[in-house]
Amino acid sequence: MPLSPAPPSLARRAALPAAFAALSLASLLIGAKDIGIGWIFDPSPEALLVLTASRLPRLIALVLTGMGLAISGVILQQILRNRFAEPATTGGMEAAKLGILVALTLFPAAAPLLRMGVAMLFCLAANLIFVAILQRIRFRDAVLVPVIGLMFGAVLGALAEFYAFSRNMLQSMQGWMLGDFSRIVQGHYEMIYLVLPVVALTYVFARRFTVLAMGQDMAESLGLGYRGMVALGLTLVSATVAATVITAGAVPFVGLVVPNLVTLWRGDNLRHTLPTVALSGGCLLLFCDILGRIVIYPYEVPLGLTVGAVGGAIFLLLILRRPA
Amino acid sequence: MRHGLVLAALAALALLYLGWGTGFAPGFLLSRRLIRLGAMAVGGTGIAMASILFQTVARNRILTPAIMGYEAAYLLLQALLVLALGTASLRLLGDLGNMALSLALMLGWSLALHGLLFRDERNSMHRMLLIGLVLTLTLTSITQFVQLQISPGEFAVLQSFALISLDGISPNRLAISAVAVLAAGAIALRRAAIWDVMALGRDQALSLGLDHPREVRLCLTLIAVFAAATTSLIGPSAFMGIFIANIAYALTGGFRHRRTLPAGSLVAVAMLLIAELMVQHLFRFGTTVGILINLICGGYFLFLILRRAGRPA
Repeated sequence: MPLSPAPPSLARRAALPAAFAALSLASLLIGAKDIGIGWIFDPSPEALLVLTASRLPRLIALVLTGMGLAISGVILQQILRNRFAEPATTGGMEAAKLGILVALTLFPAAAPLLRMGVAMLFCLAANLIFVAILQRIRFRDAVLVPVIGLMFGAVLGALAEFYAFSRNMLQSMQGWMLGDFSRIVQGHYEMIYLVLPVVALTYVFARRFTVLAMGQDMAESLGLGYRGMVALGLTLVSATVAATVITAGAVPFVGLVVPNLVTLWRGDNLRHTLPTVALSGGCLLLFCDILGRIVIYPYEVPLGLTVGAVGGAIFLLLILRRPA
Repeated sequence: MRHGLVLAALAALALLYLGWGTGFAPGFLLSRRLIRLGAMAVGGTGIAMASILFQTVARNRILTPAIMGYEAAYLLLQALLVLALGTASLRLLGDLGNMALSLALMLGWSLALHGLLFRDERNSMHRMLLIGLVLTLTLTSITQFVQLQISPGEFAVLQSFALISLDGISPNRLAISAVAVLAAGAIALRRAAIWDVMALGRDQALSLGLDHPREVRLCLTLIAVFAAATTSLIGPSAFMGIFIANIAYALTGGFRHRRTLPAGSLVAVAMLLIAELMVQHLFRFGTTVGILINLICGGYFLFLILRRAGRPA
């Protein structure tokens, strides 16, 4: 795989931001309530209300979730040195789900921030266990990592199911675990802004994360505090996953598909590719969300399902195309 | 001697299940438990045989039909049926029609997988597993999407299909599945020696004079019958098959199908029975058989992968 391909031409460089802008605009315009395009020049109070209360929060939540998850995927892939790692294939999402359940039953009246804290702790613990498990394995087939991760997630999911059933919460759990952005309105999504500092920090440490992927020995001999960086990376990932699962539910495969496609296109230097990864993550979610809003208009398909189907298909293609 | 002991233990479990709380008094409770017991026997046998045969064909000890998407495809079909025709379709088709349709679907699925399994020799075990897991996840997403289009009442009917469940089994459905599993089971047992040869791999089997392509086709057909019968009877078994098959290998100390097939069936039935007894008397219905089995078998599967992970595939 080429580390740094020839610099893309201006047209290619402008393509992604242009697509992103177009998708954002479409996301603002499309919905059950038709507000037309006239509001740009002469906003009526009604259109403004729809925009500020629902469309804009939704757009922000979508973009931040996409960016955060795509970047989480990149960090996990660097730490685990495996192309198939992402929050859904390392047990992180299921752990966050279990954390929310536990928080809901232990402190039913608690603030959302506390719930998120618990979810983040569970996610971090699951990530640490997963890294510990992988370190004990000597022989590593590249595909083995996601297989173990998916099984790890399945066991955590079964635990959550067991816990939820015995407390009569199974049905509501299935409801809010689907990545669903139709419930996002002003006042109920602000936690997603937590993704912003995560993205910024990842960009600041991008070079170090690139070095991390060379393995512990190499990274340490290059003067990197290996353990500290791994801990920082896993914390950033856990914060993102907890924030997105609390605001919108589980959105699988974004962290996997986006970084892999970007790597095929732009190579592996994180300092160069991170902005592309973040923008593409936002684009993918916007696209899938618009798709979900159109298919059975005026009703909606939860984003988790469209991404699950689209992302799963791309993932399968990636596995099948990859030489064994 | 050991066989006698195992059978006696299983019979004792079955009697305990039938008698505990009913006192063997004939009536509604006893007849309901008899049907559930029958469903466990038929379903358990089907799951065990399908899993062991599939592992022989795929030459892989951590794959089962459930993981390779058979059950996810079945659920998608059911969702599509309800979407197209409404819940009435399930009654309209009847138990026999539904069974025939599932069988056709699973045969098709077997054929499709056949290409994937034998496409090239480089396909590693873990790669196949990953493909299976992702395929199942994607199909489940699509199924949920189809379910969303369905009215809430019909949605509730479909929801009960998501895990192993022994509720609401009609004697009719039990009889149809029993006939299918018995017939396929008899064929599978009679050809046990052939499966032993097939387990050696394509080249070995060919040089030993086995018509390998034909036997593989027959084996995949049997698997489709078992999978269709059990899935339409007690629902998707998820990771249960893998647990059963590996316990059967460990118990019989080898891979001779004449022994592993019956042993696996006994283990499966015993496991369902124990889970049902635990749900009734230990958890006081605080959980379900499906959730319990999923938890235990999922954990065991993870353990199995981790233990084998240190070695080359």
